[in-house]
Amino acid sequence: MPTATLSPAPYSAQSLDRWLDETVPDSVAVQGEAPLELSNPDPPRLSQALVIEGRDLAARSVEGAVEVGFAAFLDGRQSTETKRYLRGGVPIVLGSVGAAIRERRDRRLTTWEHRVERALYLSRPHVSHEVWQALRSGAYQVRDTTEDAAALLAHPLALREAALQRVQHDRERVEESLAKRWCLEETRPLLIDGGISGTESVARSTLAVGVVKSHRTLYASGEALNVVLGLEERQRSSVFVVASEKRERVASWYLRLRNWSRRDPMWGLVRVEVAMPASDVTGRADEVSRWILAEAHPVALPDSRWDKMVYGVRDCEEFLRAVM
Amino acid sequence: MKAARAPLGRVVATERRPNTPHEFHFWTALDSPVGIGTIVRVEGANPIGGHLPQIYGIVVEGFSYTDLMTPIHDLLGHDGTPGSASLSATQRTEIRLYTAHVLRQLPEEPLQPVPMGQVFLANDDDVAIGLRMDGYLKEGSRTGIPVGVYRAGGTDAPIYLDADFLIGPEAAHLNITGVSGLATKTSAIEWIMSSIFSHFPAQKGSIAAVAFNVKGPDLCFLDQPGEIGDDDRALYEKCGVEPGPFRNVKYYAPFKSDGISLNTLRSNEALSHNVLPLTWGLREVLQYAEVLLNKDDVDAKADALIDFIRERIVDREFSDPLLGNKRYLVRSFADLEAWFRDVLSALEGKNADGWRTHHVATIRKVRNRLSNISTRCAGLVTDDGAVSDLPFGSFDDRTVYVIDVASLEEDAQDLIFARVVTKLREHLEKRDLGVNHVIVFVDELNKYAPNDGQETYVRKMLLDLAERGRYLGLVLFSAQQFRSQVHRRVVGNSGTALYGRMDADELATPGYAVLSPAVKTKLATLEKGQLMVRHPHFTQPIFVRFPRPAVMRGRDGAERYPQAVDVDLDAAVLRSLRTLDPSLTLGWVQNAIGIREDEDVIRARNATLRERPADVRKFFLAQLRPVVAPQDAPRSTTATPVRVAPADDPYGF
Repeated sequence: MPTATLSPAPYSAQSLDRWLDETVPDSVAVQGEAPLELSNPDPPRLSQALVIEGRDLAARSVEGAVEVGFAAFLDGRQSTETKRYLRGGVPIVLGSVGAAIRERRDRRLTTWEHRVERALYLSRPHVSHEVWQALRSGAYQVRDTTEDAAALLAHPLALREAALQRVQHDRERVEESLAKRWCLEETRPLLIDGGISGTESVARSTLAVGVVKSHRTLYASGEALNVVLGLEERQRSSVFVVASEKRERVASWYLRLRNWSRRDPMWGLVRVEVAMPASDVTGRADEVSRWILAEAHPVALPDSRWDKMVYGVRDCEEFLRAVM
Repeated sequence: MKAARAPLGRVVATERRPNTPHEFHFWTALDSPVGIGTIVRVEGANPIGGHLPQIYGIVVEGFSYTDLMTPIHDLLGHDGTPGSASLSATQRTEIRLYTAHVLRQLPEEPLQPVPMGQVFLANDDDVAIGLRMDGYLKEGSRTGIPVGVYRAGGTDAPIYLDADFLIGPEAAHLNITGVSGLATKTSAIEWIMSSIFSHFPAQKGSIAAVAFNVKGPDLCFLDQPGEIGDDDRALYEKCGVEPGPFRNVKYYAPFKSDGISLNTLRSNEALSHNVLPLTWGLREVLQYAEVLLNKDDVDAKADALIDFIRERIVDREFSDPLLGNKRYLVRSFADLEAWFRDVLSALEGKNADGWRTHHVATIRKVRNRLSNISTRCAGLVTDDGAVSDLPFGSFDDRTVYVIDVASLEEDAQDLIFARVVTKLREHLEKRDLGVNHVIVFVDELNKYAPNDGQETYVRKMLLDLAERGRYLGLVLFSAQQFRSQVHRRVVGNSGTALYGRMDADELATPGYAVLSPAVKTKLATLEKGQLMVRHPHFTQPIFVRFPRPAVMRGRDGAERYPQAVDVDLDAAVLRSLRTLDPSLTLGWVQNAIGIREDEDVIRARNATLRERPADVRKFFLAQLRPVVAPQDAPRSTTATPVRVAPADDPYGF
């Protein structure tokens, strides 16, 4: 049964400004500052991965006709707005995070569940106990952006970065909670925008398929990298294992959704994550690849990432844009 | 009840497309039953003055689009192959966005932009409130006249016009426009007249209708039942109107130019019981001479002479020294012609060029024009002054008086129209017509009241009727194909306007600029039996369905009751008099007519039809001029002696 968890904006923008004026008088209001998401992306890197389909990473054609396999799509969205600066350049950021599962019924997408949260993000050590308590007594939740920091952050950009990471963390948490619920309650496959290795129950579920569009980290180097970047339309790479200390092990492969001739090598290239198959790695990779290829239409235009984005994910984003 | 219904849409507004007090936008599910003309109700979320606002609106425009920025994105997405679109696992997000015009806001003050809220399909009660019909559907003061049924999404709500605004005195008149050939205009008028006769409030008194049948057999079978289907029966039941022909109909038609048979398509003997002749004499016509005489004919001098004749000659004893003090009593065109002849002869005899300030040329001109009337309107205007007219003074309630002018010349049509309407107005002013209200139905209004061309008596009269008739209870129901070609003051004074299927060229004229493109499209594609209604209580036009009239269609009637063939005078007389006395036989008529002149027989027949005596035979015979009985020459009892020549006659034989 679809449900929605939504924390509505308790204040209008003007009301929030007035309330912050009263609650944190020792601060300076700012307007029109760029969202934190636009600053300082992760550095690109190459990473090693263990190939579990064959000996070396190779290009493989996806066997069989494309088929519709996914019953729903999950994506999250976040937005940040720096509202004020305390002395020392400590930002107070209004962050909104949300996630939605859009279920496909009779070729139309409807909401299975969505969640939206809003909170004020700031560094707890930089405000007095009284101000912190006053902020907490308001209608918004208040999140400490530096609670996991090893040392007191002082650089204003570091504080902004911390706020952004905390918002991202909250967004991932909301996304994972929805994915967990789907995997617990449903029996049909779910396409998740992004990786699935963050949550154990999701990473081990055969229902969850993650589709990663960004390639800041490439799991190939040397000749293997040439193989990945040289994949043709409807070709995939061999399956490999993605593993890290903080994340679950998952099986992964690269898949070219569209013909990339005369475009950049990563055009139409996605990385797929699924739970480690117990057997028949090739069959599972081909099956899921066929499902993803079936989602290449309709294209996700006008989104600029339409070459990699499936329409269901764009629909989730548009839905969240409407409700957040 | 309202709470149990599920909303079908939500109000939306953006800075680019905001809501206003008169217009709002909402979206619906793709399978919602909303369309152009659907009436909806918006429930506002925030109370105004302690009341949750309720906004009633009618859909006037619809939009559909997807999340595509440009069509070429769709082409790119399907590699230029249209067929592959159907293979997509997911259909693009698509919206049905509608624009509605506000019918009513509650509370009515303060008048604010339409708020965000849920949108519901209007039910019967909502339709009544939204169209402000609740004001005139209250028990005890009900003045609603059903005009049809509003139908949308399972709602079947009767739509009522307010009799105070349809028949007067608040507003009045009805105009219907639409393309020819769909039988919409005539059918709608017949249906509405049935509805009025069924629902006209008792407190407003009596009502009758005078309909001019201007083309074909359209209105010739109003008293005959027609076939209707189950759908139509349901509409009749919903509107509370008994499906059936008009119970009381009387037909009037002039004679053909031969004066023998009536000039109407309703001449079948089986239907002749309520067909009466319409004939006028000099007195009836002279009052409306200007209808037939154009301005070139009637200058100030001629007008003065006509006035003199009307005031001093007609129906009065007249003598003049010029005429040798001979006494004249002019009662017919024949009398008038004799009088003219004597006047002109006397003037010629005295070699005079004028008489009583009237120049001989003017006298000749007026003689020529007036004498010509009986020729131009032969069959309607009689030389002998015989009159058979509508029953002014004894009109019956809920009765339709049809005057068939379809086969007449334009002059005769104008004359009939002008005189009948004027007489109706005179009697209504004096409150002695017999009924309190009269509906006058005129088809082809663009012919009688065009918006261009020279001023005519008929157009002036129609303007007067449209502008002042409602105070008297004289109501104009008019129809035409092109509303834009009718005088603006005539259609502008029609409180109620109906539109059937419209021609695209007509819809492109400025008069329809207030309608949205979608409403125009709907008007251009309206089915038979659908109308768009504008009425003073409705702030926006409403689409309704009306049932097929339960009367025989003109075409069916013409086939079932074919026109009687022209017959000899004796057979024509028999046919006419049999409506009064079915026992008459052709032999009796032939015997009665004998060797009399045709004119004498026709005059006697007409007098009998007018008088409708109890003893038809006796009355008819009494009207015939006596014929001198044949007598043998008297014979002498004694033989006449042969004359004998004188004896001394030398030349004798």
